[in-house]
Amino acid sequence: MAEQTNLKLAPPPRSLERIPLVQNNRSIGWISDQIAQIAEGKTPMWWWLAFIPSILLATMLFVMLAYLVSTGVGVWGPGHPVMWGWAIINFVWWIGIGHAGTLISAILFLLRQKWRTAVNRAAEAMTIFAVMCAGIFPVVHIGRVWFGYWLFPLPNSNSIWPQFRSPLMWDVFAVSTYFTVSALFWYIGLVPDLAVMRDRAKTKIRKFAYGLFSLGWTGSNRHWSNYEKAYLILAGLSTPLVLSVHSIVSLDFAVSQLPGWHTTIFPPYFVAGAVFSGFGMVLTLLIPLRTICKLEDVITMRHIDLMCKVTLATGSIVGYAYGMEFFIAWYGGNPFERTIFMNRAFGTFWWGYWTMIACNVVFPQLFWIKKFRHNLLLVWILSIFVNIGMWFERFEIVVTSLYRDFIPANWGYFRPTWVDIATYMGTFGLFFTLFLLFLRFLPVIAISEVKGVTPQADPHHPLGGAKGGHH
Amino acid sequence: MKTIPPVCPEPEGQKYWRSIDQLAETPEFQAMVEREFPQGASELRDPVTRRNFVKLMSASALLAGVGLTGCRRPEEKILPFSKQPQGYTHGVPEYFASARPTRGSAVPVLVKSSDGRPTKIEGNADHPAYQSNEAPEHAGFKHGGTDTFTQASVLNLYDPDRAMRFAKEGKDVQREVALDYLAEFAKKASQNEGDGIYFLMEQSSSPSRLRLQKIIAEKYKQVRWFSYEPVDLSVADEAASSLFYRDSYKVEYHLEQAERILSLDCDFIGSEQESFRLMRGFSKGRRIEKAEDNMNRLYVVEGLFTLTGAAADHRLGVATSQIIAVAARVATEVQRAVGGKQIADFTEIHRSYKFTEKEEKWIAECVKDLVQHGKKCVVCAGYRQPQVVHVMSHLINQMLGNFGSTVMLYSAPKQEEGTLQKLAQRLHDGRVDTLVIIGGNPVYNAPVELDFANACKKAKNVIRLGYYEDETATVSTWHFPMAHYLESWGDVRTGDGTLTAVQPLIEPLFNGVRELEFLARIGGLTPTSAYEIVRETFHEQIFPGKAKDTASEEMWKRFLHDGFINGTAGRSAAPEFEKEKISQALSKIVLDLPPTANALEVVFHRDSKVDDGRYNNNGWLQELPDPITKLTWENVILMSYKTAKALGLKVENKENNNLQVPVIKVQVDGREIEGPIWIQPGMADFTLGLALGYGRTRSGRIGKGTGYNAYLLRTTHGIYIASGAKVLKTDAMHPLATTQDHWAMEGRPIIREANLEQFRKKPDFAKAMQMEEPSLMPHENPDGRMYPNPLDKANDVAVHAWGMSIDLSNCVGCSACMVACQSENNIPIVGKDQVRNNREMHWIRIDRYFTSGLPWKKDSAPWNADKDREALLEANMADPQMITQPMLCQHCEKAPCESVCPVNATVHDQEGLNVMV
Repeated sequence: MAEQTNLKLAPPPRSLERIPLVQNNRSIGWISDQIAQIAEGKTPMWWWLAFIPSILLATMLFVMLAYLVSTGVGVWGPGHPVMWGWAIINFVWWIGIGHAGTLISAILFLLRQKWRTAVNRAAEAMTIFAVMCAGIFPVVHIGRVWFGYWLFPLPNSNSIWPQFRSPLMWDVFAVSTYFTVSALFWYIGLVPDLAVMRDRAKTKIRKFAYGLFSLGWTGSNRHWSNYEKAYLILAGLSTPLVLSVHSIVSLDFAVSQLPGWHTTIFPPYFVAGAVFSGFGMVLTLLIPLRTICKLEDVITMRHIDLMCKVTLATGSIVGYAYGMEFFIAWYGGNPFERTIFMNRAFGTFWWGYWTMIACNVVFPQLFWIKKFRHNLLLVWILSIFVNIGMWFERFEIVVTSLYRDFIPANWGYFRPTWVDIATYMGTFGLFFTLFLLFLRFLPVIAISEVKGVTPQADPHHPLGGAKGGHH
Repeated sequence: MKTIPPVCPEPEGQKYWRSIDQLAETPEFQAMVEREFPQGASELRDPVTRRNFVKLMSASALLAGVGLTGCRRPEEKILPFSKQPQGYTHGVPEYFASARPTRGSAVPVLVKSSDGRPTKIEGNADHPAYQSNEAPEHAGFKHGGTDTFTQASVLNLYDPDRAMRFAKEGKDVQREVALDYLAEFAKKASQNEGDGIYFLMEQSSSPSRLRLQKIIAEKYKQVRWFSYEPVDLSVADEAASSLFYRDSYKVEYHLEQAERILSLDCDFIGSEQESFRLMRGFSKGRRIEKAEDNMNRLYVVEGLFTLTGAAADHRLGVATSQIIAVAARVATEVQRAVGGKQIADFTEIHRSYKFTEKEEKWIAECVKDLVQHGKKCVVCAGYRQPQVVHVMSHLINQMLGNFGSTVMLYSAPKQEEGTLQKLAQRLHDGRVDTLVIIGGNPVYNAPVELDFANACKKAKNVIRLGYYEDETATVSTWHFPMAHYLESWGDVRTGDGTLTAVQPLIEPLFNGVRELEFLARIGGLTPTSAYEIVRETFHEQIFPGKAKDTASEEMWKRFLHDGFINGTAGRSAAPEFEKEKISQALSKIVLDLPPTANALEVVFHRDSKVDDGRYNNNGWLQELPDPITKLTWENVILMSYKTAKALGLKVENKENNNLQVPVIKVQVDGREIEGPIWIQPGMADFTLGLALGYGRTRSGRIGKGTGYNAYLLRTTHGIYIASGAKVLKTDAMHPLATTQDHWAMEGRPIIREANLEQFRKKPDFAKAMQMEEPSLMPHENPDGRMYPNPLDKANDVAVHAWGMSIDLSNCVGCSACMVACQSENNIPIVGKDQVRNNREMHWIRIDRYFTSGLPWKKDSAPWNADKDREALLEANMADPQMITQPMLCQHCEKAPCESVCPVNATVHDQEGLNVMV
């Protein structure tokens, strides 16, 4: 929009210059090479070392699921009065982790946060795999899994429809929509990069496979134009989903009338918690990844720093929600509500509550200090704490509201079975197996997008455009 | 209401109801509660168990349903059906009147028959046994209550483990061959007048059986008859009969007439003769709706903690063997208070017993109350008590003028049968040629010193008609499968003597033989058809000496239709006990020494679920939580807190959810059993309660491996009470499955109590006990909601609004409703391991709470000092009250479960009911 003028402007002082998103003035070719080579060539040793335990754990998951389906859901721990056990805890936990991907790829995209380009691909992959892990639990918990499709509103001769008033029903729609849109969004973003992979491929199979999935991408202006539109539309579609999925998951609890669940704070509180845990997981995955794959120049300390800030912000929102729950329990005057909250903090399961507080509220406060945000080891450990804390949050919500409800005669205790534990561990196996396969077969960072935020890509930049330089 | 009622709160004062939470708030008790949560999902030793049970239950269901092709309608006419075949609609259940025979009495029932298969049992409300009980204002609602056993008995019919074959020496024999053998046996017997033939039967009130016995006795002069019940509920009858020279009587209590009741270890709510009727009579006196209404008052003296004790207004815990002294003392006091001619001197009996101050006061108050309500009160004694206590209770009733109003004596045919002891003697002497055992299971449940299994082996031939191939089947030469009562023709007399019909709803499922038919065949009589026999008896009883005509035919039809004949009740006799007999009955009574930690007292009691073991293979009953302990699937050794402490035993739950209790050995006279312990608050100290009926060696798939066998300690001399028992500790721990181990209400106003006086002062006391909770902006919103739902208006125009109320002042916690619900709704059982995982599937449960009723002051917190805390806990556990509350679907108008169920399994129907699919 700049009008032609004779006025000469001095270049901005160095302190106001944008810190480049890719460091060390890496060339565009370097970016392609560095990212693509992770998925090319001989499989490195570290990959096998990670993959073999993962696939073993994943196998265990399927053994556990087979055992469950053949024997019955009784192999899990729930019983009266804690009818919801680890299955829903793990479901909510994995769904929560899945939140960072879409938030990064959609919301940050709409907000023109360019730093997202370095992390969005991996985060989206993580989202999809986490949602897959999450989806296992509701599907198998119904016992007769072959009737799982009954959850969908399919016309049938009995004219019986699912109960549309039930949040559990909304869950089915929310999660399946979320998964579909995330997968589509991820795939659309992959298309130009798949073409890069195709062009670099040396074997026939690779050429064919990447060629097939890159949908004949040539990089023409028309392609780019359609691509940008589709990407924008999908970003627009994904944005409400980021908020809706976990809101609806929270309604599973909030719509029931149990003290400790029946609160209006649940939807925002759950969304904040989900983003919190999602960023925790992104940090857990990317910190080792950038070192192992030598991507420090793409996933820079600035990225880590920004993600730490998001974690700090959402962790503090979660902490506020914990406090507000207690305040309302007292202020609302409902004696059952009060009892439940006192019991959460000081009852049989006090250890879960205080683990949660420590991991979710106390430790992330360290991120106020820049020095800590730049200590990779510390950040990595804290990011794991975040995930531990968020698991305990769900545990506390599920178990402590149920095990001591209104009528003392009803009171019980909850204890998981070994199958519960093995199934949960198994989902890690599935998650890491998929993630490692993703590393070896797909570009782990959005190559084209990262190129788009390099100085060279800016036509007004001294190095940019067609002015000089060479692609 | 209960002892020392707490002060009724006024609405403006403290709104919290704090009679219950005392126990809960002691740190000790809290800790105990923490430890004692039931269940434990950690150990799924056999996760498949539940499926096995479901399979077994579906086997039963198959027997009842699709598994049986074709109809098994009885060949003989059942009236309503044969007269109105056109009225029959497939799938619409029909009801037939019948009766479930019990020991010497019967429960009159209406059986629901779905397409020719009995599925559910209700009481026959028209029967005289129920008539006197109905409060006039409720006469419109005709309900015949039953008991748990009756409700569950239908499952036995479909038990896949019941005896299904005719067997000789354990090998299958064709039915015809077996029946031919009986005919041959009869022929041979007639040659030597039945010499060496011994019959062992269960108690029965069947006139037909009596008639057949008489015919057989005339035909075969040498035949000997014996009867045995491991739990004999006819002590009161025997005691009454012992006070006469010649006549024999049955005693019937009419609790509905009584304003004051004293129970001497009489558990009329759970385990006495005709409990179904007594319970009802008792509850009638508890029903109050208006401030002017009156209530009965129940005094209970007992050693165990029973449902009757739980329902008591005033309960006195006394060791079971010492209740003689209390009875004698009451008799003495009543005699003194009533004045007049002295009937007997009771002081000798209680001279050696040292009454505590509390007991003195309790007895004095009780006697004063009884005397004030002369003719309107009743004293009854339980089956565990020796005959002398029953004699004294009859005498007290006589002194109070209760005979004819609350206590009835009906003349009844004298029991001619010999005892099991005599039979065992003859068996050991080798004098028995053929032993015919009809029903029962003496090899399992005979007194242990009789060594009945070996005794039977000395008989040349044992012919048995049995419902299961059980322990007794192992010693039987011939085994015949017995027909269930729902498959049988028969007749019974209820307690008052009313002639009541037993009709089959279905042809015997495995060609079982009916008891009457078996007797007729073995006696070589004709006809052998049970139907004919019953008809014959009926005619003889109603139209003696007359030929059959239209009138008798009509009467027979009426009998089958109604299930009974009105006016056949025995004549109530005015008793004039024989003076000589009285002094004879009261002489030479030696009171046992009170039990101590070194010489414990063992009390054997009928189990609230498996009876004497006959329902051991009934899944509904096995999984039914015991009304008091809430334990399932086995029996335990009950003891008081103080006893456990003295013996150094603790019920501890190490893992906080995996209930494990110590196993102990109990020794009496050199015999020993081993079982898990359970601390029962309120039990008399140094008493061990051992439920009978478990630890079977040959039961079905359900009963296998449940509990320990208490019969192994039981001798003729200590049939209900054995003294001088010792306890040995073992290192073993035993897992228990309880459905409710939380005892306290945590200060929540769940069950709200007031005594009669408080109720009269403030009939809406229950509302005043609401917990304090601010409503949400009531000034802005009359319905108290912050965000009124605009759709609510539309909701409120439904045609019906249903409510269901359970009168908690009437609920005695008997748990019959739990079994009835299982029976009606076909609810599966899950097995012990899954009950431990809290996965029992009952749709109704009975919550029970204990409360000490001790005076309480929060500020003075006595448990701050350790010494006092222990004392307080012990006091709390020593004499608690128990409260029950049935919990079930509340059929909410706006049910929260409906809106959250994703698959529409719980919905509102057109009538506004909450239905589950």
